[in-house]
Amino acid sequence: MFDRKIGVDMSVNTDRRGFLSGATAAGLAASSMNLDILKAESLSNELKKSGKRVLLLWLAGGASQLETWDPKPGRLTGGPYQAIQTSLPGVQISELMPKMATRLHNTAIIRSLNTQIGDHGGGARLMHLGRRDEPNLKYPDMGSVLARELGRPDLQVPDYVSFYTATEGRGNAVGQPGFLGARYAPMFLTTDNKPANLSRLEDITDLDHKERADLRALLSNRFAKGRVSESLGSHNVAYGRVRGLMSSEKLFDLSDEPQKVKDRYGKSLFAQQALVARRLIEAGTPFVKVARAWWDSHGQNFETHLELVTELDHVMSTLLEDLEERGLLQDTLVVTLAEFGRTPTINASLGRDHFARAWSASLTGCGIKGGTVFGATDEDGQHVKDNEIGAAEMFATIYKAVGIDPHHEYFVGARPIPLVDPGTHAVDEVLA
Amino acid sequence: MKKYLLLIVSLVLAGYMQPALKAQDLLPPETTIEQAVDHYIQAEQATGNIASAPQVDDYILLRRTMLDLIGRIPTVAEVEAYVADEDPEKRVKLVDHLMQQPEFIEQLAYDLNNILAPAGKTDLELYLADALNNRKGWDNIFADMIYGNYEEEMPKQAMQFVNLRINDIDNLTNATSALFFGVNISCAKCHDHPLVSEWTQAHFYGMKSFFNRSFSNGDFVAERAYGAIKYANTNGEQLDAKLMFLTGSVIEEPEPVVLDDEAKKKEKAELEQLKKDKKPAPAPEFSRRAQLIEIALRENDRDYFSKNLVNRMWNRIYGHGLVMPLDQMHPENPPSHPDLLDWLARDTYTNDYNLQRLVRGLILSKTYSQHSVYGGEKRPAKFWFATANVKPMSPRQYAAALALASRNPAHFDDPNEAVSRIQNEVKAHRGWERKFVVPGEKFQVSVDEALLFSNADEFKDKTKVANDRLGGELAAIESNEALVQRAIKTVYSRPATAEELEAISAYIAARSDRREEAISQIVWALLTSSELRFNH
Repeated sequence: MFDRKIGVDMSVNTDRRGFLSGATAAGLAASSMNLDILKAESLSNELKKSGKRVLLLWLAGGASQLETWDPKPGRLTGGPYQAIQTSLPGVQISELMPKMATRLHNTAIIRSLNTQIGDHGGGARLMHLGRRDEPNLKYPDMGSVLARELGRPDLQVPDYVSFYTATEGRGNAVGQPGFLGARYAPMFLTTDNKPANLSRLEDITDLDHKERADLRALLSNRFAKGRVSESLGSHNVAYGRVRGLMSSEKLFDLSDEPQKVKDRYGKSLFAQQALVARRLIEAGTPFVKVARAWWDSHGQNFETHLELVTELDHVMSTLLEDLEERGLLQDTLVVTLAEFGRTPTINASLGRDHFARAWSASLTGCGIKGGTVFGATDEDGQHVKDNEIGAAEMFATIYKAVGIDPHHEYFVGARPIPLVDPGTHAVDEVLA
Repeated sequence: MKKYLLLIVSLVLAGYMQPALKAQDLLPPETTIEQAVDHYIQAEQATGNIASAPQVDDYILLRRTMLDLIGRIPTVAEVEAYVADEDPEKRVKLVDHLMQQPEFIEQLAYDLNNILAPAGKTDLELYLADALNNRKGWDNIFADMIYGNYEEEMPKQAMQFVNLRINDIDNLTNATSALFFGVNISCAKCHDHPLVSEWTQAHFYGMKSFFNRSFSNGDFVAERAYGAIKYANTNGEQLDAKLMFLTGSVIEEPEPVVLDDEAKKKEKAELEQLKKDKKPAPAPEFSRRAQLIEIALRENDRDYFSKNLVNRMWNRIYGHGLVMPLDQMHPENPPSHPDLLDWLARDTYTNDYNLQRLVRGLILSKTYSQHSVYGGEKRPAKFWFATANVKPMSPRQYAAALALASRNPAHFDDPNEAVSRIQNEVKAHRGWERKFVVPGEKFQVSVDEALLFSNADEFKDKTKVANDRLGGELAAIESNEALVQRAIKTVYSRPATAEELEAISAYIAARSDRREEAISQIVWALLTSSELRFNH
């Protein structure tokens, strides 16, 4: 029998939480119950999550774990670079990361990822969504989930910004709100460090631009009154965000950043985008992704990594210092991640190929027990020896570090969708 | 395809999907669609003590009907002519007139393509328009899509339904089940469906078996006369898939052709040659895809097919399906109006699955012409259909609406010129479609769209004060009241309210030093407001 007990249409609501209920919990028969669950959950977690942010450094193409977090000096697979002692007793990383070696006190290294998918497209999707695709259900990526979970309705800044300037692998860098809806779509920056259509055209004054929007709101609200539709709500919410987003335009402009700070980060595009990311984080943007491409070193692995790891080491350590000095690091989780690592075996072109079986990532800052190393690979780095984890555990750990319950469920129709696949858990060993 | 006498074994038929057992209890077949719709919707409302929203006036009804049938808003001249018309039959005449316009088929084909083709693809649109113009029923369209016919140009294009998915048979199986039968069986690939006891792995692999012999050969879909599916259940047992439809009906088929190595080599060489010659491979004598068409339309098995059609067309017109979500037609998720769905399904298969007939009936009901504002205190949930739903426009509708609403309305006053001028204006704005997203269930407008309209240079032309633009005409009107009336009627196809008169007049008055700019800004506010973006 069709269940008619929830006979009143509650789906309209322009506030954030109500919006979610419209977007995800509108399964007819179950909607009322689900709304209550969501509300109770969100209230109890609100405090834990407030002000938390995530900055993802996406090493597109697949960075080598051997030239970064998990060196194998002296082995056939080790390559020409040595390992250096870090500030942590007994922990070594690649000599290409001397700066990070001195500041691992906020960082946890994970050396036991086995994510199984070894092609760029599939691997990147997995490491953006935290799970495999399913036909007919579009999952949100990490950024959209974090934008929804950590964002605030009164925020005047974008809640999900994604930088990906290189063309290689850009199509693999999934930014999709999926069933959460376009409200949580990324502001995706490719050709420019500034988002499109964020600045006012010259032929209208700022006052007229504002009052024109007010007139629109008046006309549109008059129309919306007494009508109910999630889509209609989202239309006016989108226009309501325009002025706030425009005022955040200056965040993308480094000209008012002190020269000293700019010099510290350096001149590379990656460094500049990391600095913009820091500005956004400081202004309250809950999720920023900065992609650096292209790590796909099938040939000349060691030249490629000399250049890219050296840059990463500098930018990442500068970013962490900057965040720490500003008191932001305790609320900001900085992640390095890629679609996979690279083969320990060195091929005939002195390259390393795709390798998803035993690779590394790092987590720094918010919610992380600094100075820890989790998991280990065998002496040649061919297999995970201890504490193997997959993408779902990695995602659960990221969510939990910023105060989000990884087992929290969204509802698509009547179907519960937990944030991470059922049966997977966060790595508590690296959490503070 | 009927060469074989098929022995069909019907397994347990789910009660839900059985044809209405008590057909005598349904309203008689000769009832009109619109009467049946209103009868069942109102009867259900009576059980919940729910009152309907009031009927809309001529202004809203004209706009809504034109958007739904020909995909555009009316011009001021059309609004005024319709409202002034005193013919009591004017609504029926309007519907019949609109359905004869080429835009009616064009829009239906566009919408159906958006449903049937993979996201972003337009490959099926031309075929669909041709099929609908030739009054092909949904059953024949389905047959063209699944089995095709490389001898004729149009059915060849229909094969893109299969061809675009041929490299992923799981996806092809799911798409066919979801889009033609309203059943998303993807959960049942790895295990029996957790919520729906009727959907088992046997169903998934049964459906997949209709496609497993098909493959891509050059630009064409080809099919072998052999090939079977084995799958493992959750206990790890290996099972042989049967050629089984969603209802559980199994098709007994001839033994698969067995080819020795020599014959396989020969087959491969022939296929390679056909590929080089850019020719289709001949279909096997026994085609599994052809069997799917046969069984899906058979009397005891056609409920999935006919109810899915009704539900999708209902959703398109009323903005909410009788079963929601649209691909979850299963016993655990019953329809809100089972008798109505039964009646409409019967009506559609007894009338050759004619889409035009179905659309016409749905549009002529009183349920259709309810107001989207509910007068009473508590707005009833969507499934009561006691109010009209507000529907986001398709990219094509919105592009057309922006094109017409931003044009100087006098451009369309001359009835001898109006038709071609409207067509030209709409066609010239087709490029705008790409800026918008095809709305699905729970569609949300993105902030990118709002930023585009707020700050992009390319939208400026729509709002400027120039002779061919709405702004140009408004600037020539001296009285503020007349100006506001003209603007509102052009953009929203109705007279202005007192509140609008006041707000807009005040906006102009505050900018007496820059009246043209004020007018341009007013046009901007009208064009970007939700009232233009949505069909209400």
